[in-house]
Amino acid sequence: MIKKVSRDILILFGIVALWASTSRTAMQYISEKRNVDTWWGSYQCLNGDLVSMSYLDAVKKFNQPNPRTGFKQPVYNGVRNTALYLVGDSHTWHVKDSNFVRLSSFYYFERIHGGYYHLDTTKRNILLIEISERYLQSYFSSLQMFDEVYDSSTRKKNLSQESLPRENHAQFASVFPSFEATDLFNKYINQNLQCNLFNYNFMMPMFEYKAALNYYVFNRASGDVVISNDRQFLFYKETVSKTDEGSSYYPVSKESESQIVDVLNKVYDHYKAEGFSEVYVSIIPNSATIMQPDGYNNLIPDVQNDARLKMKVIDIYTVFKKSDQLNFLPGDTHWNHSGKQLWLDVVNERLRKQ
Amino acid sequence: MTFNSLQFLVFFMVVTLWFFRLKNQKGRILLLLLASCYFYMSFIPQYILILGGTIVIDYIAGLLIEKNEGRTRKAWLVVSLIANIGVLAVFKYYNFFIDNIHAGSLFFGKPLTLPMLKIALPIGLSFHTFQAMSYTIEVYRKNQKAEKHFGTYALYVMFYPQLVAGPIERPQNVLPQLKEFRIYNWDNVKDGIARMLWGFFKKVVIADRLAMAVDRTFSHSHESSSIALFVGVLFYYFQIYCDFSGYSDIALGAAKVMNIKLMENFNQPFFSKNMGDFWRRWHISLYSWFYDYVFNPLIISLRNMGQAAIVLSLLITFFLSGFWHGAAWQHIVYGLIHGVALIFEYFTRKQRKKLFAKMPKAVSNFIGIFITFFFVVFTRIFFRAENMQAAIDYFKGIFSFSGGSNYIGMNRTEIVFSVFLILLMLYREKVLPQYFISSNKRFYFYTIAMVVICYFLGVFSENQFIYFQF
Repeated sequence: MIKKVSRDILILFGIVALWASTSRTAMQYISEKRNVDTWWGSYQCLNGDLVSMSYLDAVKKFNQPNPRTGFKQPVYNGVRNTALYLVGDSHTWHVKDSNFVRLSSFYYFERIHGGYYHLDTTKRNILLIEISERYLQSYFSSLQMFDEVYDSSTRKKNLSQESLPRENHAQFASVFPSFEATDLFNKYINQNLQCNLFNYNFMMPMFEYKAALNYYVFNRASGDVVISNDRQFLFYKETVSKTDEGSSYYPVSKESESQIVDVLNKVYDHYKAEGFSEVYVSIIPNSATIMQPDGYNNLIPDVQNDARLKMKVIDIYTVFKKSDQLNFLPGDTHWNHSGKQLWLDVVNERLRKQ
Repeated sequence: MTFNSLQFLVFFMVVTLWFFRLKNQKGRILLLLLASCYFYMSFIPQYILILGGTIVIDYIAGLLIEKNEGRTRKAWLVVSLIANIGVLAVFKYYNFFIDNIHAGSLFFGKPLTLPMLKIALPIGLSFHTFQAMSYTIEVYRKNQKAEKHFGTYALYVMFYPQLVAGPIERPQNVLPQLKEFRIYNWDNVKDGIARMLWGFFKKVVIADRLAMAVDRTFSHSHESSSIALFVGVLFYYFQIYCDFSGYSDIALGAAKVMNIKLMENFNQPFFSKNMGDFWRRWHISLYSWFYDYVFNPLIISLRNMGQAAIVLSLLITFFLSGFWHGAAWQHIVYGLIHGVALIFEYFTRKQRKKLFAKMPKAVSNFIGIFITFFFVVFTRIFFRAENMQAAIDYFKGIFSFSGGSNYIGMNRTEIVFSVFLILLMLYREKVLPQYFISSNKRFYFYTIAMVVICYFLGVFSENQFIYFQF
């Protein structure tokens, strides 16, 4: 009897674990509920996303605090007549209107969520597309993919929904209503299962022992994280593997680069026709592109310097190349405080010249 | 869903427990069929339609082959073969042919532009089409009765443990087991789980560790030293063995837990004394398939040609086996080199026997194993390289005896540790074939120890099994 009950409990447990880890809605719900600082809460590392992925908290050289605030307040006394629409990713989280000059209004859209807009034609409307280098090829290799994300012509323009704060995008009312058939084959199911079954504070020592073993005995990081050649940085494997199109060393053909330029041009034409005064793109380099440039595929300069490119470029790649300060976090995929400040300076310089 | 994923572990637990919960065979077949569909669809869901289409055709063809005689019987076999080979031709070989037509037309100064297909190769396509063909051929040869129950036939093709990378089964072995109600047997569960754990160990601790060195040397062949390149290809031989035989161990173990016995796929190939011996020990299910359905019919149909029949049959068989592995010239060359080696062995068999008779057995065995081992190691370069040019460059790099980077993607400690793991694996499989699980206590200890070892020493980078691509 006990055996039969145990068996049925295990079957039920397995089905629930698979379902909860494949449903995006369920995962969202679980991750929100689990963000609690208790022994059973989920592991949250504040030392960098790559440190977190590789459980290398114990290696101090990869840990560097990264203040999210405290950027220079740019000085500007002129007319504030610009509406800035920033479509970005995690690099531009936490930017505020006060970080920019000339703004009368500021709207932030996270690229993966998209958003709605309604242009105020009395203002100078600027669209700035910030994109990480590792996503450049996948997003701009075809227009169709880009359209799905934020082509306003296919969306209802609704003033009441414009400029949702980032946090609002992630709210879900209930676990059950929006299950989709495609959820059955969620490609992140293994990461989700690991998160749901093992990623608890009390399990962390086990992960950290394994990470320490790999680091101290075999000189490498675990999983999707790679240590730089000079051993001072962690890199996301996707950005350094020669077989991944998000990598700085992935061989990019001239045709692929040309295709990216074509798509950027179409995007540019589209938003200009929508009424934007100007459309900019700013490609944020992978940390490996700057910190370990040997063998770089030259994707950013090739795209930015293509004579056919209509879209205006906010070039942070060249600025980082020339900069003699450290602009990336050693244990994170993102730039550090000074890297972000440099980017804000370049954007503001452009806004001033408008 | 790869075997070395958490998803598979949870999936396997649910399916197996549910399997034994069901009290009738129809329910079990339905469960395994649904589970196999989910397993296959977790790679690319749409491709289930292709698999489903060929299953329907082969199922009907099997029934009609059995029902008819003469030309009609043959015609239905041809329909089945065309359907299976047609799917392979479109999804696996179309672009290769178009590529070569392009190259040929350029060579003759009349460039042709034919469209290429931008589609991913369905996972394990070559495995399940070959298994399906073996069914219709066996029904045609009257060695197997046509399966009346569609679900049972579909499960024969789709049985998830061997769906995407074999063993390529024969209907005579699997169909009777699928039809029979399999009783829960604790000894089989223990054996199955122990074998699965050994398979996981070979995959995540050895194969995926060696993959770091192999990937590095094959992607940096121009800047690596001869020694680094040699170590890279040597490790590749062990990597592909641990990867593929590890998969087979997991597949056989998973089936054994459900009291289903699949055919063995490997038998210590590193100890092969010659190439003929090697092909009786490596990927046994594929090479017995080629032996039964290609080599033997060829030998019979060419029997009037004398020794030329053997030469031709071997060349054709190994050409096809190379082509089976991949739609690329380096795979064809790999197959042909092995075919030529077997022809050489055939013609020199008497001289070799005389020569070896003069030596002590241990010495002749050692020489045979040594030559066979390194022959396979070097021909593996064709198997692993991205293309023919890369393979040639790799060869040149090894035999130029030049300097260059000795870095192979791992530090010295890990290189030494990898060699230790390889020796451990060889010792364990050659000398200690049992799993030390004679008692329940030993089984639990073994299970816990293997889980801990696999976790702490495993390399988890979501590497797919190499043979999934075939």
